[in-house]
Amino acid sequence: MENRFKDRPLEYDYSVTKLFMWATIVLGIVGMLVGVIIAWELAFPAVNTMFGSAIAEYTNFSRLRPLHTNAVAYGFTLSGVWASWYYIGQRVLKVSMAESKFLMFIGKAHFYIYAVAVVGVVVSLLLGYTTSKEYAELEWPMDIGIVVIWVLWGISIAGLIGIRREKAIYISIWYFIATFLAIAMLYIFNDMEIPTYFASGGIGNWFHSVSMYSGSNDAMVQWWFGHNAVAFVFTTPIIALIYYFLPKESGQAVYSYKLSLLSFWGLMFVYLWAGGHHVLYSTVPDWVQTMGSVFSIVLILPSWGSAINMLLTMKGEWQQVASSPLIKFMVLGSTFYMFSTLEGPVQAIKSVNAIAHFTDWIVGHVHDGVLGWVAFMIIAALYHMAPRVFKREIYSKSLMSTQFWIQTLGIVLYFTSMWIAGITQGMMWRAHDEFGNLAYSFIDTVTVLHPYYTLRAIGGTLYLIGFIMFAYNIFKTMSARPVEEDELVNASPMGA
Amino acid sequence: MNIAELQTYGYVAAMGILVVVSYGYIYHLYTKRKDADGRDYEEYGDLALKDDITDTPISAMSKK
Amino acid sequence: MFHWLEKHPFFFSVLVFAVVAFAGLIEIVPSFAQQSRPVIGTKPYTTLQLTGRQVYIKNGCNTCHSQLIRPFKSETDRYGHYSVSGEYAYDRPFLWGSKRTGPDLMRVGNYRTTDWHENHMKDPASVVPGSLMPKYTWLYKNVADVDTAYAEQLTVQRFFDVPYNKPLPMKDGSKETVKLAATLAGARAEALADAKLITANMKDQDVKDMVKEGKIPEIVALIAYLNSLK
Repeated sequence: MENRFKDRPLEYDYSVTKLFMWATIVLGIVGMLVGVIIAWELAFPAVNTMFGSAIAEYTNFSRLRPLHTNAVAYGFTLSGVWASWYYIGQRVLKVSMAESKFLMFIGKAHFYIYAVAVVGVVVSLLLGYTTSKEYAELEWPMDIGIVVIWVLWGISIAGLIGIRREKAIYISIWYFIATFLAIAMLYIFNDMEIPTYFASGGIGNWFHSVSMYSGSNDAMVQWWFGHNAVAFVFTTPIIALIYYFLPKESGQAVYSYKLSLLSFWGLMFVYLWAGGHHVLYSTVPDWVQTMGSVFSIVLILPSWGSAINMLLTMKGEWQQVASSPLIKFMVLGSTFYMFSTLEGPVQAIKSVNAIAHFTDWIVGHVHDGVLGWVAFMIIAALYHMAPRVFKREIYSKSLMSTQFWIQTLGIVLYFTSMWIAGITQGMMWRAHDEFGNLAYSFIDTVTVLHPYYTLRAIGGTLYLIGFIMFAYNIFKTMSARPVEEDELVNASPMGA
Repeated sequence: MNIAELQTYGYVAAMGILVVVSYGYIYHLYTKRKDADGRDYEEYGDLALKDDITDTPISAMSKK
Repeated sequence: MFHWLEKHPFFFSVLVFAVVAFAGLIEIVPSFAQQSRPVIGTKPYTTLQLTGRQVYIKNGCNTCHSQLIRPFKSETDRYGHYSVSGEYAYDRPFLWGSKRTGPDLMRVGNYRTTDWHENHMKDPASVVPGSLMPKYTWLYKNVADVDTAYAEQLTVQRFFDVPYNKPLPMKDGSKETVKLAATLAGARAEALADAKLITANMKDQDVKDMVKEGKIPEIVALIAYLNSLK
């Protein structure tokens, strides 16, 4: 054991981190741009044919919506998570990628196969190859690609842990492991499908497959997956990020390590049960629905355990929130995490869900989680990593600060307009007049939403503008003032 | 006994076990305060702060 | 026990996996057998209907339209009888959707006609003023992929025992049989015959001409599917 480390180069190797950082930025812009386009399509349907009616098939709302969700969830978010994994993993295990040619090869393969898969996903979704299952739209050849990518990541996790110098495993790594395991299980079971071309002896399109589950069973598996894809793509890896980046950037150790361990097990145990809240009042068994509802409420505890732990980490150091925009991103991120993990359980209460389900309130809920928590944390992670990866100071602090306020305004516009839209529509659907007839025709409940759809589109556009400022800031960082090693201990160096 | 009944028993038993284990874990963390190596749990917060490759590991692999 | 786990990542991972997998095991597995039984009156899709279902999926109709009527007065007033699990027995995948930007379509075949769909899909706002739905003009030009639908029928018949060519009980006590052709050519011919019945109620001359030439436009298959939703 001892000898292996004797002549090692005393540097972490961030080459794979760097690749994934670029992927994060590119896919973030693509995913958010598509999101902004479809938001405007809902506000003004003419936008559907804005790019010409000849290609309207590929630019209309229903074709672009899966592209938006896939690009931001599995493109932007996973790239950000992987960039951070190849950074945090080395550091808290105190082992460099440069020490193992094998792991370096796996890391590079991970990135390049992923890049190829991204192109495949974009093309296949635009062409309409989809299984229709939300967040699992990809057809079977793509699914196989995803499994390969996931296995490569797993090898990288196991490999780095295997050659680690630090015996104790930091809480962030626990969360990465949980992400890896849970998604592997969920994805494989939800995507059980039979390629019809082979099953029928060579008839029809080779890309097409049929689900192994039918009807209510299919729905139950899908939402068991769908809910937990949210848990294990938008929650656990992002908690991994904040448990590392917030203490590191602020120079404060996590408030209570014990609480972080407890929250971890709490979250692991409770999260999987809550999937039933997506199918309340549907045809799946009642007890699954009730279970989904109850566990969603219980879920507040472990979620808030992590979030409060993060906020208390700043205890006695709150002036940093005022002085550093980078800390602002993380503190507002954990605040939004608290907010959306309270909002979610409220929506999972059956009587609330009766109004909220199928409306824009759900869309609003997702977005205050992903815009406020996930994307803010990933942006903060990239800002923290950039000076260390490029050995240069962040190009502009004031630009970062402006970005923060523009994006925060965008989020507020987004979720407030979706709240109003959702509750308005939910109430109008169920309204009866004095004779017991429905008070509104369906289209009445659509036209009334126009102002809110417009506000939402403006909010989304502001967020995208902020993200482009972020991309510019990172790009300029590559040629900013070089920094010394000792400037990189805690608070990241920033130019004016 | 049909499968739904088995399912119910399985669920209740598992819930019981998990509640006991979770509370046992809380009790363990807050009474012992220290892990197997005699190190206070809170020291592991430093894993994020002292993470340079030249920093001394909190608990080194080579010890074993 | 806890001390030991904290230092052994492999066994730690095993435990995480067990805890995470547990919910699925209890919640999902046992309910499988009970729910996939069709209720009386539920039929598998014909070749043309299934072609239309694939057009529905390809164009992401399920991103804005649900197919799940909840048991509330406001919903049954608007859309008809609430959904029953057995009605979905032949739905692979399920198409409940999660967002009603447009209305539910679970029983749209009860109250919309071929003619209505033809006008609506071409320019939704001309039929329903204020509609947000995009114009689906390409459906009138693209040729539907009947072969893949037939391949899917063969697959589900073979692997999941979907009862094609078997008499099925209907609500009125009669029996009906959904035919599945023995050959691809037979399936194409049957789909075309069904398509001709639909186009008899349509106005678009280009669509009628295409069917005359033996090609089925996507819109015809889609309407066949929508009409089957009852």
